[in-house]
Amino acid sequence: MAIKRDDFPLPDVDDPLTAPFFAGAAQDELLIPRCESCGEYVWYPQATCPHDGGALVWTPVSGRGTLFTWAVVQRAFLPAFEDQVPFVTALVALEEDPAVRLCTYVVDTAPEHLVADSPVEVTFRPLEFTTVPGRSVMVPMFVPGSAQP
Amino acid sequence: MPDTADWGHATELDAGLAPVAITGIGETAYTKASGRTAREIGAEAAQRAIADAGLTPADIDGITWSGAFADFDVDAFHEHFGTSHEMWTSPWGGGMAWAATAPYLAAQAINDGKARHVLNVFPVAWATQRASMTGGPGEVHAAQSLKQNLEVPFGWFPQPVYFDSIMRRQMIEFGTLPEQFGAIAVACRRHANLHPDAVMHGRPMTIDDYVAAPFLADPLRLLDSCLISDGGAAYVTTSVERARDMPNTPAVVAGVGEGYSSSGGHWALQRAFTSTPQVFSAPGAFAMAGLSPADVDVLTVYDPFTVVSLMQIEDMGFCPKGEAGRFVEGDTLFHDAGKLPFNTHGGLLSHAYVLGIAHVVECVKQLRGVAPAQVPDCQVAVYGGYTGHMASTLVLTKDR
Repeated sequence: MAIKRDDFPLPDVDDPLTAPFFAGAAQDELLIPRCESCGEYVWYPQATCPHDGGALVWTPVSGRGTLFTWAVVQRAFLPAFEDQVPFVTALVALEEDPAVRLCTYVVDTAPEHLVADSPVEVTFRPLEFTTVPGRSVMVPMFVPGSAQP
Repeated sequence: MPDTADWGHATELDAGLAPVAITGIGETAYTKASGRTAREIGAEAAQRAIADAGLTPADIDGITWSGAFADFDVDAFHEHFGTSHEMWTSPWGGGMAWAATAPYLAAQAINDGKARHVLNVFPVAWATQRASMTGGPGEVHAAQSLKQNLEVPFGWFPQPVYFDSIMRRQMIEFGTLPEQFGAIAVACRRHANLHPDAVMHGRPMTIDDYVAAPFLADPLRLLDSCLISDGGAAYVTTSVERARDMPNTPAVVAGVGEGYSSSGGHWALQRAFTSTPQVFSAPGAFAMAGLSPADVDVLTVYDPFTVVSLMQIEDMGFCPKGEAGRFVEGDTLFHDAGKLPFNTHGGLLSHAYVLGIAHVVECVKQLRGVAPAQVPDCQVAVYGGYTGHMASTLVLTKDR
């Protein structure tokens, strides 16, 4: 059961279920699977739509959302995070469907300035860990933003 | 918060089965890292439960365990006791939410004539295994690929971070105060100090200690979090008819409930983020028992973090939603003075992290009148089980 992947805790960008998410981020696009037939967003990704079995298509979304909740992590639970603490990890509810919550980092602001349900906007940044030298994955992070463009 | 109809459902259970009772309980020592295997711990708990019921291993003709942690299953039973008889079996017992529903499985088997005495057993050795990271709650989760790719890289891992996020959202929605989470931790520690077997026995804690404790992830403090322990327990379920001729006061299984969230197994995606599926589980269990929350003399709930206790107290109907923080203040939860004696053994926070099996054992002790922190004239004892997207409820009573 131990994690064997040597780039952990970077995401496995080759995992077919989630690869398009990271490929999108590398192109500055936030992509979420959406059912071709019923139009529902499906998060986390699945093989097919749980509502009607329709095909899921990775679909660009606005990148706007609200700050649902967050944790100011002070203890490193994995060695990779020892030089990261304290950091803010958050759940962001997307504008297109607030039931789609992304686990993400909120950056460019101090924890004490975070406000529940306030607007946030996506930014694409490289994720790096000193425990995984020389590797980097572009991922969506969020910054305080405006509710409307 | 979504309407209840939108986010989960109860499992339909049969209220017409032949009545059963818990007739034997067995526990091992509850410790930090012991060097023992979960299998050894399970064998000891089983042996003690069988002896407590006045039975021999050959009398046990049914066994349930947790398929996800199959450390002491039917094969281990036979190997340990040197037996080989036919047994009715199910891997849908053990601890966590299933510590509440295993007696229902036993009732079905007994009702159908497949077994007379059913053993449910759950051991864990995560304190010992933690050193090599070959076990424990974090590693189980990190092995899931969706979490590896969409949660862990973003620091949303492990359990203290999930429950910190729930705790903050609960503070946002309901205005719950740090001291109100602390009231759960203080009550558990108070009871552990009355319980010689509790891991945190002899280590008193006040609300000031709680507030001064370090954050793991603000606003979640170290003292909001459960222990990591070695230990285990087991219990024997028998028909009430037979139970009346057995050595111990029967703890009658009066009601069982089970509820599920339809948001799947990921905490990040629970639609009702500050609720538990007790919303669906508890009403059925109380209805089956013909009782209400007001009838409960002692409540034990699966309490990995203080916020999980607050949510379950609300969702089981002991106070309105959003008011648990105010409800638990003061002496509400104390075994001798409170209106809702709670986790009277100390819970996962201060007794031992054995995933709920000791909570059920504590309920049985309370009904027998032999608990170290005994609630006077305890007639109704309830366990609320919780495993993320699943919750369960076990209502035990004296033989009425």
